[in-house]
Amino acid sequence: MSATAGTDPAAAPGTEQGTVRSRSRLAVRLVVVVALAIGILFPLAENSDQGTMSIAFFALIFMASVTAWNIFSGYSGYLALGHAVFFGTGAYTIALTANDWHVPAGWSIMWLLPLCGLAAGVLAIPLGLVALRTRRHVFVVVTIAFFFIFQTLATNLSFTGGTGGLQLPFLDWNYDVYNERFYYVALVLVVLTVILSWVVRRSRFGLQLMAIRDDEDRARGMGVRTTRVKLAAFVLSAIPVGIAGGIWAYFLGSIYPQSAFDPLFDIALALMGFIGGIGTISGPLLGALVLESLQQKLTQTFSTDGLYLIIYGALFLAVLLLLPRGIVPSVAERVRSWRARRPGPSASAEPAAGTGVAGVAPQ
Amino acid sequence: MSFDSLIQAILDGVLTGGVYALMAAGLSLIFGVMDIINIAQGAMVILGAYLSYALSVHLGIDLFLGLLITVPVMFVLGMFLEWGFIRRLREGDRTSMSILITYAFAIIIEGVLTVLFGTDYDQLSASYLNSSVHILNFYLPDIYLFGFALAVVLLGGLYVMFFRTKFGRGLRASLQNRTAADLVGINVNRTRMLATGIGVGVTAAGGMVYGATSAFNPDSGYDLISRLLAIVILGGMGSIGGAMASAVLLLIAADIVATAWEPTWSILVFYAAIILVLSFRPIGLFGARAVRSQ
Amino acid sequence: MIEVQGISKSYGGVQALSLCDLSVPEGSISGLIGPNGSGKTTLFNVITGYERAREGEVRFNGNAITGSAPDRVFDLGIGRTFQLTRVFGRLSVLENVLVATQRSEGWVRGLLRLAGSASERRRAMEMLDFVGLARLASDLAGTLSFGQRKLLELASLLVADPAVLLLDEPAGGVNPTLINQLAERIRELNKAGKTFLVVEHNMEFVMTLCDRVTVLSQGATLASGTPEEIRANPAVLDAYLGGDVAEEAAAQDARAKRSQISVGAAAAAPQPTAPAPILRVKGVSAGYGGGDILKDVTIDVAEGGITCIVGPNGAGKSTLLATITGLLRTRTGTIEFRGEQINGLAPGQILGRGVSLVPQIHSLFPAMTVRENVEMGAFSINDKALVARRLAAVQELFPIVVERAHEKAASLSGGQQRLVEFARCLMLDPSLIILDEPSMGLDPTTRGIVFDTVAHMNTTGRTILLVEQNARAGLRLSSHGVVLENGTVRLTGSGHEVLEHPEIGALYLGGAIEPVL
Repeated sequence: MSATAGTDPAAAPGTEQGTVRSRSRLAVRLVVVVALAIGILFPLAENSDQGTMSIAFFALIFMASVTAWNIFSGYSGYLALGHAVFFGTGAYTIALTANDWHVPAGWSIMWLLPLCGLAAGVLAIPLGLVALRTRRHVFVVVTIAFFFIFQTLATNLSFTGGTGGLQLPFLDWNYDVYNERFYYVALVLVVLTVILSWVVRRSRFGLQLMAIRDDEDRARGMGVRTTRVKLAAFVLSAIPVGIAGGIWAYFLGSIYPQSAFDPLFDIALALMGFIGGIGTISGPLLGALVLESLQQKLTQTFSTDGLYLIIYGALFLAVLLLLPRGIVPSVAERVRSWRARRPGPSASAEPAAGTGVAGVAPQ
Repeated sequence: MSFDSLIQAILDGVLTGGVYALMAAGLSLIFGVMDIINIAQGAMVILGAYLSYALSVHLGIDLFLGLLITVPVMFVLGMFLEWGFIRRLREGDRTSMSILITYAFAIIIEGVLTVLFGTDYDQLSASYLNSSVHILNFYLPDIYLFGFALAVVLLGGLYVMFFRTKFGRGLRASLQNRTAADLVGINVNRTRMLATGIGVGVTAAGGMVYGATSAFNPDSGYDLISRLLAIVILGGMGSIGGAMASAVLLLIAADIVATAWEPTWSILVFYAAIILVLSFRPIGLFGARAVRSQ
Repeated sequence: MIEVQGISKSYGGVQALSLCDLSVPEGSISGLIGPNGSGKTTLFNVITGYERAREGEVRFNGNAITGSAPDRVFDLGIGRTFQLTRVFGRLSVLENVLVATQRSEGWVRGLLRLAGSASERRRAMEMLDFVGLARLASDLAGTLSFGQRKLLELASLLVADPAVLLLDEPAGGVNPTLINQLAERIRELNKAGKTFLVVEHNMEFVMTLCDRVTVLSQGATLASGTPEEIRANPAVLDAYLGGDVAEEAAAQDARAKRSQISVGAAAAAPQPTAPAPILRVKGVSAGYGGGDILKDVTIDVAEGGITCIVGPNGAGKSTLLATITGLLRTRTGTIEFRGEQINGLAPGQILGRGVSLVPQIHSLFPAMTVRENVEMGAFSINDKALVARRLAAVQELFPIVVERAHEKAASLSGGQQRLVEFARCLMLDPSLIILDEPSMGLDPTTRGIVFDTVAHMNTTGRTILLVEQNARAGLRLSSHGVVLENGTVRLTGSGHEVLEHPEIGALYLGGAIEPVL
């Protein structure tokens, strides 16, 4: 997907192509505004239903995490299956700091969230340096290994509370505003992460990243500092995930190693990314929304853990084999070919054009 | 840490290393012939353990005899997975996609096991396995000895198959030069299917021994696969001999750490190994594969 | 501007470059030519940092840059294209060009700044305009045709304003009208001050465009000079057609005496009734997606004879073999073996019908012994007695299988491996043996042995179809010759006829020259 936002000399305003392009940009902007509006107004409609609100909250947490994950894995093509490390780090950071610094319960704990992001980001540096030394498929395995290291550490180190985990300061908010407040905090994170993803996509940095994805050797030959770029993307993708972990931890009120460092989280990120469409902006959001809602519904319906896992795994398999490119790119392609068949401006000016902003992918 | 406990740790490491070597060899074989990384290997070992459990507890079949059933079952499962799913992967990003697909397998297997057996820990047992052999100052639990013997027998069997049978030659040929194997008329698809079958079949044996030496539940697959991956990365992906050697090395190191410090830290030996190896010699100790383009 | 001295590099047992020298004067358009396997692309890779040489030096404007990383080389002002065109398939054409402008940015600034400022985009569009791709600016690079990708590669380099451009086969696979445009562009850029080093097999292109030409052969510099000088150089012609003239003639005579097929007789009296063709290629067109490489090729391979296909690089020889052995689908036309249509069958099935291939790359199983390798040839046969009999027969023809029976194949030299490969392919008792460049990368003595063996295999009644870069030796050996150029058949006839044909020199070195044969 292209990142040519801004002026495209190939479509001067006033020409037919220019009109079409500005029409599609308008459409995208409209979608963004509508989506944002829905996001903001949603709780007002659903506030009475606590079940729906918590599902929405978890969906938002995943939307932010997958979007962040996509900044690295989607744009660079390196599959990272260990981001739960950052999620868990964020969770433990907020728990430890809240307890150790005796932060009073309430909004003030939210100020700790940037710390979670920082911890995750800083952690990403040495992890990235080691992991990125390898070829792509060994990289995946290394990220998995890192994940297990951290799960073990969390289980065994004393200051992390061991298998019992940690408790966060008790939050005495009113029941009906509890979910709503967390919802908005998560929403803010999602918006910020999407903006980050969008900025990366359009930036020089993003262009280099995507060049690496397509042909790393050649990118290097053309002057791209591949190690630096990959590492930077890795770190950037870790930060929002860390913050998400912090919010999540606070929402639940207590964490323990198995939940904060959950291998299914890693798989979920990849699955949501694949369903929605890796490398796009709207893809991760869509994937997270769809899958997390499904996930929550499944846990509510199926009491047994096992059945849930079976369905999950089967779903994953199905997506991988049948929908390898994801919903958004497939839809985008349909739209593109539909447009190409319509009479009007030449099709050659169309493909891959677009701002790639959240909403409809390039026409 | 006393010298005696050091020797004990080494002995334990060698004995358990044998079994891990068997399972890691399966993983390496699959990678070598097919270029795919089977993340589900750990889950399959646990599946093998549960199969042995079911046979032993519900049907009263002896653990070792039960292998006559579990190994073929797992073998067929492996072939089915290759035929049904792995073969469908596009050539392009085969290895990365295989990681995801086999991860999905692992989740499904775990789910099935949870449904069938619940999340409580189980362990395999046999009356004749509860004692140990006492040599000098050292205790060698019977189960370790039996397990080691089993691993040796199976690895020996693999060796024979590999080097003395026609099929084994075809397999080796596919490993060494795939285009030439095509040229010579080796049925590549069939070879891959059988190789996967073997790679998974050994997990039945590994599962039985693992299940007899440690408590397990459906979740235990993760712990196992991370060890196996560490072993294979250390040994160099695709090198079966490397996998075996590093299995024994890592197990010895882990046992020493467990004895000298605490058992819970022993798993970190594996991970430390990965990090160290990757930092200094990314292709592994015995890895000989040329660096492929990404 | 670029000085290369004494570069050596080897891959395992093969010496790719040996004490190679090259000099590219500033402001020139220099050409680098040489037969297949002579090391041209390896030299490029060493200069631009993609590979390391074992010894030697590369200097750029007097400064040593040997062993520098590719991005550093690019920063210094040396840009290169690749033989197999590489573009960033999922980025748009415009973005492809922008990549080179985005370098040397701290990553924070790189994050905050838009991909390609207005001035950079303008410049990128200028470049696209220059190569004629401007109207495709927003298309995904992956949708471009082969020739268009080459132009895109060029534009991507130019935008960084390199001082020197190394072009690896810029005209390869590009249609003629585009080639002229390309040459025009290069001339324009050269006038504006850029230096070029061009590797090409299209002799017309090289000779008309370049003001200096260097010839590589077997990894070493053979000759260097103006196009006229190079054309007149007999050693150069030898390198392309293969072998030292006098030496080859002597060897050939000896061979003719030994072999049962009298080449002289075949040449003196062209068969009035040619034996029925065992293989018929009729009107075959085929390609690898970018366009047809073979265009309506018709060839008959006579049974019992040795047919040699020669031609310059890019002519389609390997592609032709690929269609015959089933590795590549034909787009049009048919291929018949013993009257049965085989195009469309799987390679394994074609193998089963008695067609055996010895490919260009070494195809032995390195960790198996020589004897095991040969036995593997009969893998698909279950009759042990039959296999034993075949093995005995093969051992008679190839003493090396007995002599080195228990050594690992990897320890043999290139020529010896070749012989073992021949032995292996005979295990299936094929009626048609296809050899893809059997003598490539081998020294003259070993080459002689290999050709002897080819003749020998023919004595047992098998038909041999071979592709040879070493045209001279190949054609001398053969009863029939076919010259392929640009995907079409240019000449056919008996081996001798084709070899003596006045045009053959022209086909290899372009332009009107006096072939010194």
